[in-house]
Amino acid sequence: MSTCDHRWSMTDIRSGYLVVEGCYHCGARSSFFSTEPVAPVDEYREGPHFWEYRGSYQAVSFNLVCEKCGQKVDLSDMAGLMLSTCTDPECRVGALAASQPPGTTIYVALCYDSSHASGHCVSQAGITALNEYFNQRLRSGRRRIVVVPCSMCNDLDRCRGIVLADTGLTEL
Amino acid sequence: MRISEVVDTTALEALNAWDDDDVAGVYISDMVSDIITGAQAGNVLVTLQTHKNLIAAANLVDVAMVVFVRDKRPADDVLELADKAGIPLFVSADDTWTYAVKLYELGMR
Repeated sequence: MSTCDHRWSMTDIRSGYLVVEGCYHCGARSSFFSTEPVAPVDEYREGPHFWEYRGSYQAVSFNLVCEKCGQKVDLSDMAGLMLSTCTDPECRVGALAASQPPGTTIYVALCYDSSHASGHCVSQAGITALNEYFNQRLRSGRRRIVVVPCSMCNDLDRCRGIVLADTGLTEL
Repeated sequence: MRISEVVDTTALEALNAWDDDDVAGVYISDMVSDIITGAQAGNVLVTLQTHKNLIAAANLVDVAMVVFVRDKRPADDVLELADKAGIPLFVSADDTWTYAVKLYELGMR
């Protein structure tokens, strides 16, 4: 276990598109990050799924690196961040938000598999580093950022929040 | 430099309640994905973007204030979110370039 008091900074920053696809056969939804000059819109079959393009948003991907010890945290499993506005007490994110002191904002780290059928979400190491990184940047102790994995959401399709992505620009 | 100095010198109109605070540096962008990787805590964020996700990004980065140029005004739900996050919002009638020059002449780098 590292004894370094990490000082994180962003690295491997890449601009691209967050592409959202849906299966018209079973209704499943998936997404991926593309660095192609134009967001891919191809339809294709993958096992039982028939994926079709549902939309794309300009977005960035990045990793975190500790400026002190050089440790790198891979965030390639994170599709984006969403400011949570969930107030559902039955949802773990909503319940967490309700228990926080004023000045706290909850952000949900979204993985690429919103159904979590694969059993994977954003790694715990990634969540820990994101929390440290964003809170290290804050100027006042009265404010706090809490980042949680999207596996904590009851139902991502019905989840309330504001996704940090550039909507409406890629159609230009 | 303080927010009040920027407001007075560059003739900004406040869109919500604000407390005076230090500002350091300027970031100009209309893209959320750019703001979260490029802006720094304490920056004056100058933008045309009035979408709610601008506030979500400004809060994450902890900018000191947001200035909407060309008299762009966000909707009420955006103001409400900014109030909740404690982010002061201002509007300028200037275009982005003209406003950037004003900040430069004020000594901001």
